[in-house]
Amino acid sequence: MAEQGLEGSQPVDLQKHPSGIVPTLQNIVSTVNLDCKLDLKTIALQARNAEYNPKRFAAVIMRIREPKTTALIFASGKMVCTGAKSEAQSKLAARKYARIIQKLGFPAKFKDFKIQNIVGSCDVKFPIRLEGLAYSHGAFSSYEPELFPGLIYRMKQPKIVLLIFVSGKIVLTGAKVRDETYTAFENIYPVLTEFRKNQQ
Amino acid sequence: MSTSRICSNCSESSFTRDDVTGNLMCCSCGLLQEFDQFDAQIGGINGPQGTFVHVGTTGTGTFYTYKQRKLFTAQNSIEELTYTLGLTSKNVEIKTMISAITEGEFGQGKWFQILIGACAYVVMRKDDRPLPMAEVASAVGCDLYELGKMIMRVVDFLGLKRPDFPEFDIVHSFERTLKNSQCFAAVESSTLDRMRKQGIFLIQCAVKWFLSTGRRPIPLVVAILVLVAELNKVDVLMEDLAKEVHAVVSTCRTRYRELLEKLVEVAQVLPWGKDITTKNVIKNAPIVIQYMEKKSMLKPCEKRKNLDQPGFDLADVVSDCLRQDDAYKYGTVGETSQKDSQYFLLDNNSERPDIQNVDRLQISPECLSMMYDKFLNEVRCVKSSETSEKAQEWESLRLDLEDCREWWSGKSELSKKLLLKQLLEKDVGLDTMPPSFVAGQLKCKTRRERIKAAKARIKRIMHPLDAGLDDTSNHNSLDETCHGRKRKKRRGTVAGDVDWEDLIIETLILHKVKEKEIEKGYYNTLLDLHVFNSGII
Repeated sequence: MAEQGLEGSQPVDLQKHPSGIVPTLQNIVSTVNLDCKLDLKTIALQARNAEYNPKRFAAVIMRIREPKTTALIFASGKMVCTGAKSEAQSKLAARKYARIIQKLGFPAKFKDFKIQNIVGSCDVKFPIRLEGLAYSHGAFSSYEPELFPGLIYRMKQPKIVLLIFVSGKIVLTGAKVRDETYTAFENIYPVLTEFRKNQQ
Repeated sequence: MSTSRICSNCSESSFTRDDVTGNLMCCSCGLLQEFDQFDAQIGGINGPQGTFVHVGTTGTGTFYTYKQRKLFTAQNSIEELTYTLGLTSKNVEIKTMISAITEGEFGQGKWFQILIGACAYVVMRKDDRPLPMAEVASAVGCDLYELGKMIMRVVDFLGLKRPDFPEFDIVHSFERTLKNSQCFAAVESSTLDRMRKQGIFLIQCAVKWFLSTGRRPIPLVVAILVLVAELNKVDVLMEDLAKEVHAVVSTCRTRYRELLEKLVEVAQVLPWGKDITTKNVIKNAPIVIQYMEKKSMLKPCEKRKNLDQPGFDLADVVSDCLRQDDAYKYGTVGETSQKDSQYFLLDNNSERPDIQNVDRLQISPECLSMMYDKFLNEVRCVKSSETSEKAQEWESLRLDLEDCREWWSGKSELSKKLLLKQLLEKDVGLDTMPPSFVAGQLKCKTRRERIKAAKARIKRIMHPLDAGLDDTSNHNSLDETCHGRKRKKRRGTVAGDVDWEDLIIETLILHKVKEKEIEKGYYNTLLDLHVFNSGII
C-alpha cells in the first residue's frame, strides 16, 4: 500500500501510462465484517459522530475526519466504508471504525476486508465528438442526451464503466483494483483521440 | 283455502289470499304469513320469451377473470395513450412490443403506463422519427427519468443497437415541432418551408458547433425556431413555444444566447464585424447566414482561394444596409447607391450599375468597410432632414429593391438533413470548441494564475529580502494578469485578494504537491492524499 498518493509527487511512468495521464482516484468503497451482532441504538447514543434514523435507513451512519470518510454500520456487523481517496486510506478508516465499535463494548473483529469499487476521473484535455463515438462503438456505448449529458461506455475487459463527457472529462467506475481503472483508461484513450476535436 | 302449511301463530291450516297483495292470511287469527309467492316474472316455462340480461358484463361484479379484465384495460390504456401521442397508426406495433416484453401478460398500474410510453418512444425511435422524451413523459404523466429508465430497460431487453436504434434525430424533431406547433399554425406554407430550410441549416451548424452535444435537444430546437421566426418576422414567444414542447424556458434562453454568440463569432469576418454584438446580431443575421451558406457551398478546393476573403455582392451590402436601419425613411437611397458606386471598380464606367447586374461584382472588405461608414453617416443626415415627399419616393423604390433583400437561397446541402460525417466536413465559416471545454480550459488557466500568485506570496514570506529585488516585477505582472478576474469581489474573501481557494492552493504547494495536479482542481482529493494523511505508513 506504499504506492498510495504517489501520483502527486512522482513523474508519470510512461510504461504503465502511455497516454501520460493518470486517472485520479476520487472514491473507494470497501466492506468489512466486524463479525458480531451490533445494537445500533447503543452505538447511536454513545458515539458522537453517528446518526441513526431507522425509519429512513437501517444502518448507523458514522463519519470520521481523518481519513475523511463515512461508514454505514449494519446490525449484522457488516460495515461499508466510503469516501476514501486511496486503498490504504480506506483500510485505515475501516480499522478506525472497528476500533470505535470495540471501544463501545462490542467484540468487533476485522474480517474479510475488501475493496468493492474504485472511482477515478481525469481530463484528456480535448473535446470529444460523442455522437461519433456512440455511432462507431454502439455495442458498448449508450448516449442519450435527453437523459444524461455523458456517453456511458461499458467496457468488457476490464469490466469498467466509463462516463465520457464532451469537455474531455472522463469518469471511470466499477474497478476492484486501481490497475483496472488505469488499464481501462489506457484502452479508451486511443479511441477518444480518434473522436477528438482538434483545436484551431 | 287450506294448504299443507300451518299458521305460525294458531297452528290452523286455513288461509285466505289477499287479492291485492297476494299475501296469505290465517283465517282464524288473521296473521299475515311469510311470503311464499316468489314468481319469476321473466319468462318461466310458459311465460313470454324475454331478452336475457346478465348483470356483470359492464361495471363491477364482472364474471370475467382477473386476467381478462387486465388485458382489456391494458388494451384500452395502450389505445388511449397512442391516441394522445398521435400514434394510432403505430398501435399494433406498440402492442406487439409490449406483448413480447410482458410475455403476453400486459399489466396494470402506473408502471404499465410508463411501459406503454417507453414502447411508444422506442417504436418511433426505431422508425427514425423520434418523439421527444419530455412529450411522452408528459402524456404518461410521469417523471422524465422514470420514463428514461424504462426506455433503457426496453432497449436492453430487446437488445436494440445502432443502426436498428438510431440516435435521437434533432433535425426531425425540429421539423416535427415546426409542423405541429400551434405557434406556427397561422404562418403561410411558403414561409414555413423557408423557415424549415433555414432552421435545418442552423440546427446542423449548431450541431457542428457542439451546441447540441451532451445537451437536451429540445431547448436547442426551441432556440432555433425562435431565431428563424424572428428572421422571418413571425411573432412567437419563446415561453409559449417552450411550454408547448415541455422544455425549460431558461435552458432555451441559454441556447438562444449561445447561438447568437456563435453568429457573432462568424460575423467577425465581416468588415464591420467588430461592431456586431449579441444585441444587434439579429439585424445582421441575414448577411451572416448568407455568408455561412455560401461558405458551406464551397468545394474544398475553392476554399483555399476564398477562405480569407469572402466575396460579397452588391445585393448583400444593400440589403444589409437597408435592414440595418429599417426604422429610417430612406429618402436618399438612390443617391446613396450612386455615391457608393464609385467604390466599385468597373471596367466600363459609363453608367451607374444596375442592381440586377452587380451580383457578379466582387468588392474588397476595405471598400465594404468604407461604404458602411459612409452609409451610416448619410443615414444620420437623412434622418434629420427627412420629408414626406422623399418618403413616398422611397416607397416606390422599395419594391425594386425588395428583390435584392432576398438573402436566403436555400441551396446549401446543409438545408437538408446530412449525416454527421458529411456535416463535419462542411465549412460554415466557424469551427468552435464545446462551451464546457472552453469553460474548463478557462478554469484551468485561472488555477494556473492562482498557483503562480500563491508561489509568489510564499516566496515573499520565505525570502523577504529577495522579494524586493526579483519578485516585485514578477508580482506586478501577476497582479496585472489576475486583475481582470479579481476586479469583482469574490465571495468568501479572507484578506485582500486571497480567498479559500488561494489558501488551499498555498497549503498544497507547501505540501509539495505537483502544480499539474493542483491545476486539475481536485482539491479535496489532494488535501486528503497529501495534507490529511496522518497515520498512513
